Amino acid sequence: YPLFQRGGPQLRIFRPNFFMLAVRPGVPQPEDTVQFRVSMEMTKLDIRNYLERIYNVPVAAVRTRIQYGANNKRNHRNQRVKKPDYKVAYVQLGQGQTFQFPNLFPEKEQDAETRSFDDFKDKFMEKEKQKQEGDPRRGGVPDWFGL
Amino acid sequence: WFSEMVPGTPSPPASPLYPPVVASITAKSKAAKSRRLQRFNQRVHAAATVEEKLRLYGKLQRPKYMVYPQTFALNADRWYRSFTKTVLVPGMPPRAAPAKPPAAAGATPEIGRAPEPGAEAPGAAEAPGAADSPGAAKNPEPAAGAAPYLDVGELRSLACDALLQESFYQNKKRPFLYRDQDHTPGPFLTQLVSTLAASLSGRNPLLAASCLDLNPQVNYYWRHGTEVVVHGHRKGRVDPVRFQIDDNPHLQIRVPKQLPEVVPLESDLGDVPVIDHKPSKLPLFKKQYENKVFIGSKVADPCCYGHTQFHLLPDRLKRERFIRERLEDQIEVVYRSNGIASLFAWTAAQAMYQGFWSEADVTRPFVSQAVVTDGKYFAFFCYQLNTLALTEETIKNSPRKNICWGTDSKPLYDVVEDGNVKGFNDEVLLQLVRFLLNRPKEL
Repeated sequence: YPLFQRGGPQLRIFRPNFFMLAVRPGVPQPEDTVQFRVSMEMTKLDIRNYLERIYNVPVAAVRTRIQYGANNKRNHRNQRVKKPDYKVAYVQLGQGQTFQFPNLFPEKEQDAETRSFDDFKDKFMEKEKQKQEGDPRRGGVPDWFGL
Repeated sequence: WFSEMVPGTPSPPASPLYPPVVASITAKSKAAKSRRLQRFNQRVHAAATVEEKLRLYGKLQRPKYMVYPQTFALNADRWYRSFTKTVLVPGMPPRAAPAKPPAAAGATPEIGRAPEPGAEAPGAAEAPGAADSPGAAKNPEPAAGAAPYLDVGELRSLACDALLQESFYQNKKRPFLYRDQDHTPGPFLTQLVSTLAASLSGRNPLLAASCLDLNPQVNYYWRHGTEVVVHGHRKGRVDPVRFQIDDNPHLQIRVPKQLPEVVPLESDLGDVPVIDHKPSKLPLFKKQYENKVFIGSKVADPCCYGHTQFHLLPDRLKRERFIRERLEDQIEVVYRSNGIASLFAWTAAQAMYQGFWSEADVTRPFVSQAVVTDGKYFAFFCYQLNTLALTEETIKNSPRKNICWGTDSKPLYDVVEDGNVKGFNDEVLLQLVRFLLNRPKEL
């Protein structure tokens, strides 16, 4: 490829090797703020361009911080095990958009068949447990001794 | 003998036999903590001088949020309104000016004042009554023929002179990087305000007795709401959230008499936004340093009330920058947040100088005005402080809210070319003049 100078034609295409992971915020964030875990080498400008060019998301402001992963745990050889560091980005969306992290594991509504099967299973387990236990009048004392 | 009562003895003795049963002072309990707080409040109430009160009020230093009036944070004015319990009313406060017939020349000798139902000067060139749009450059109303009380032409020429001198006639080098505002709009604003104040002091005796500060400091420290301490040796305790504003307006006019109230103390003109999140999400950062309360001069100064502040927006909050980043709606937010925060700090500090504080709430409203500009666009704000009680206990008992009237930013001129100012906007100048002519009724 010929050497690139400013104003010249762009002959090479660079695709970013980054990825961004949208996470559920640990502390409640304002409605227009989305929290991402990004690669340590990404800058605020990179994050803004990434979201705007690839995903067409209007970005108003980006703030980043680096989360240090602790080095306190020890393995079976008493060596310290480091949890990896990662960068967290708080992105405020433009044009009044809001974002709420979705609930990924909603309670599934059970139909009548599953519900009755679950009830049957619970009753069966209860009966089994009662058979295992001894006489309730003995107050939990084992029955391998005595009359 | 033990069954007969001696008649005539007063049964309860004058002083009680036992001391009152109250909570301990030194115990590690909530009752003891509240007793300690009450003792502290009584100490502040009983302080002899205002300086002593201020010293005790800001004695304990703890990490507090630094609130910057000129901030790039998104939607900062909503957050600032929730911190200061302020209602934002768009537009200027209503001037209940009667439709004064221009013929009644000598009838009313009062001179017009901005938010007051004063009649404009008889036969004034200025449009009497807010209903008339002052866009008509020179209203041909000096029918009385008396020297027009307000010569708009003269004031316009003063403003144009200041503008041309700074931007055209004077030979200046290129401004240093990010120092554009100090280069031209700063000196222009100073020159404009000082010349206008000097020329209008003839008809506003309050201006004649006023004090013009250049680049003063205005500081205020207050507590609002509570939070649980997250980290550290005080983890888990419920702490009040502390804020501090340290502001440097470009210019400030202080006067010895207070501006009159705009609406009664207990009026309710809107809602205060309630934000559940912590202030650090704005983003707002904490630091621990001196808790200062200052209006621009010390307590003993006779000019202890505020009249008008003038703020100059810095280079990092230019319009072009917001337009380039496609954040057009944040331009107005910058003006509003600056107006609300600076005026709240100034009026609250003035109230503290008179001895009011969060436990001793203000008995009369404190009114101040501000002009926020970036050299070309002007936005006008008027603030009425009705309550200082923002702490957790006092905010429950006080239904009062502070009120801020504010306009959008309008350009004063379009462009300066070849020794001419093109597209001069008289409305903005007239609003500025009205601000400067504002004075209490007695004067």
